[in-house]
Amino acid sequence: MNLSRLFRHLCAARHALLTGGGALALALITGSAQAQAPDVTEIVERANQASFYAGNDGRSEARMRIIDGSGREQVRQFTLLRRNGEAGRQRYLVAFSRPTDVRGTVFLVYKNPGADDDRWLYLPGLDLVRRIAPGDKRTSFVGSHVFYEDVSGRHLEDDTHELIETTAEHYVVKSTPKNPGSVEFAEFTTWIDRDTWLPMRSEYARDRRVYRRMTIQEVQQIDGYPTGTRMLMEDLDSGGHTLVEFRFSAYDLGIPESVFTERSLRNPPRQWLER
Amino acid sequence: MKRWFGRQRQRHVAAGLLALLAASPLAAQDEEWAGDWDDDPWGEEASAFSWYGFVEGAGAWRTRSNPAIGDDMTLEELRLQLEGEYRADWGTVSVKADGVADGVEGEFTGEVREAMVNFSPAERLDVRLGRQVLTWGTGDLLFLNDLFPKDWQSFLAGRDDDYLKAPSDAARFSWYGEAINLDVVVTPHFEPDRYVDGSRLSYYDPARGTVVGAPPALAADAPSRTVDNAELALRLYGLAGAQEWALYAYRGFFGQPTAFDPERGVATFARLNSLGVSLRGPFKGGIYHLETAWYDSADDRDGNDPDVPNGELRLLVGYERKMATSFTVGTQYYLEWLQHYDDYATSHPFAADARRDELRHLVTLRLSYRMLRDNLVLGVMNFYSPSDEDAFLRPTVTWRYSDNLQFNAGANLFTGQRDSTFYGQFEANSNVFLRARYSF
Repeated sequence: MNLSRLFRHLCAARHALLTGGGALALALITGSAQAQAPDVTEIVERANQASFYAGNDGRSEARMRIIDGSGREQVRQFTLLRRNGEAGRQRYLVAFSRPTDVRGTVFLVYKNPGADDDRWLYLPGLDLVRRIAPGDKRTSFVGSHVFYEDVSGRHLEDDTHELIETTAEHYVVKSTPKNPGSVEFAEFTTWIDRDTWLPMRSEYARDRRVYRRMTIQEVQQIDGYPTGTRMLMEDLDSGGHTLVEFRFSAYDLGIPESVFTERSLRNPPRQWLER
Repeated sequence: MKRWFGRQRQRHVAAGLLALLAASPLAAQDEEWAGDWDDDPWGEEASAFSWYGFVEGAGAWRTRSNPAIGDDMTLEELRLQLEGEYRADWGTVSVKADGVADGVEGEFTGEVREAMVNFSPAERLDVRLGRQVLTWGTGDLLFLNDLFPKDWQSFLAGRDDDYLKAPSDAARFSWYGEAINLDVVVTPHFEPDRYVDGSRLSYYDPARGTVVGAPPALAADAPSRTVDNAELALRLYGLAGAQEWALYAYRGFFGQPTAFDPERGVATFARLNSLGVSLRGPFKGGIYHLETAWYDSADDRDGNDPDVPNGELRLLVGYERKMATSFTVGTQYYLEWLQHYDDYATSHPFAADARRDELRHLVTLRLSYRMLRDNLVLGVMNFYSPSDEDAFLRPTVTWRYSDNLQFNAGANLFTGQRDSTFYGQFEANSNVFLRARYSF
């Protein structure tokens, strides 16, 4: 099932409803201004699709430059493969090529919306496939300032979303966690591009102060999908940041499901990993 | 030579560690990228040949004197590892080799840890030929169906965890089906564990009834190199939903020299056939694992030959869970059930208090805490056997100073009521270790 296409059909149907006969009825009740602005649920759903579900599958090479608060630098380089499944399920394969001590390490993730993800890690020195206990997804992804949740997406139903402003370019959405004890933030605000639906900036706040900020610094149109190709994650408390750059991205390659299995941990699929 | 090392080595290891420390700021500069990302060679095509490596200085100091071994260090070495990989259209060739200046043995040694070709002759088949490290099974530092060679001497003396696995000269065929996969591993010449032989670590010798060290180092006789003595290991496995299941079979030998040839008066390796099952999957927010193995001691099925180990039934249950942000707790219960215990006890030729129990219970507890974006990891692994009344405590600290430089410190601490038990025999080998590794 082509999820994103289905989603677009749904959106189109909804749009027709709003702008056609339905809109007339709605306009009578709520006023015409609201008939043109999508509601916040649609905004966050479309932003989620644009960020994490573009195409049926995708491939990208990524590099992180991690600078800690005292200015020391580390690097991570990896290739990421992704395939969408049904009902928001996804599979990810992340194969590291740099630095030396993590080279050959491979991550396999089955993302299960509404449930725990299944995660495996391959350690080449021991030829060991380790299953990783599910847990806090708001912890460092391979030593960077990026969290696991920033890579595979936060569940929309974990937060209450509120459209607080519509500017010429952005929908500004404030999200408040339904279970505040499970996360380190009190709220986060996202600036979503009205054309591409990409979240261009997210600011995480606690005690009414922003302490963490994600900014997309560059967007490219790749295979018809607007793609954030350069992203900055700042830790304003420590002064550290991670710059992530994606290159050689491609979508709808027809990556088979069998690529996302234990076989690829022990024997990374060069056909898909190499450009 | 040995004496020269003895006098010089403390200084050498210290100098090696200092040199690594001094190199770190230089290395950091080397790694800095030319300001602009766009100038970076990232954009170039990856070359077919690539190479890597590290230099590591490691020392481990005994926490108490060992009456069987005079040396006060269990590990003292400077190691260079080089690794090369060549990617051809048809597959991959990789070689990994170590050169070691070893202060404990007083020698320079080298070892090829990996030399293999990896290719896929058919769509569903992967083949790996040559010297390689092999691992399967679900246990955390407990091995039931993983009968591939281990290097306990390295692990217990303070080397990196990677050295717990010794390489095999083997052929591995992996076939991947829709729901079922099959691994077949053939090792033409039996590859035993690198057992504790008295050179670095002392061990309990049941014949002498005491803990002994080298010289003489324990030198067991490996089986002759015949086709019939080849090792065969099979694993049939799959993923059903989120549950991983596997069936295992093995034909070969016990990895430890637990048999004895009375005619020649040497330790040997007894024949072993094994069958097993494992399950692993999510449970209540964590990961459980369950594994069992039945060891058939083919040369002593009745269990009344004192020179051949008895068969065993082994059982393992484990659970791991994240208890708080960055804090993980893992625990395991492990059972060894000696088969034909009455025959074993009757025929046991040595002191009664050195006899194994019919049931050996073991529990493990692992705590790990990751800090500073995983650059600092604190961990402790604890093994405790209520039946043997012995324990092994292994605290570790890993500090990743930079992408190039990593420090490891920790300890291997053993204690036990009796010399004859698994951990108890190592009591005088307790050590504290420190390693510094520069990767390039």
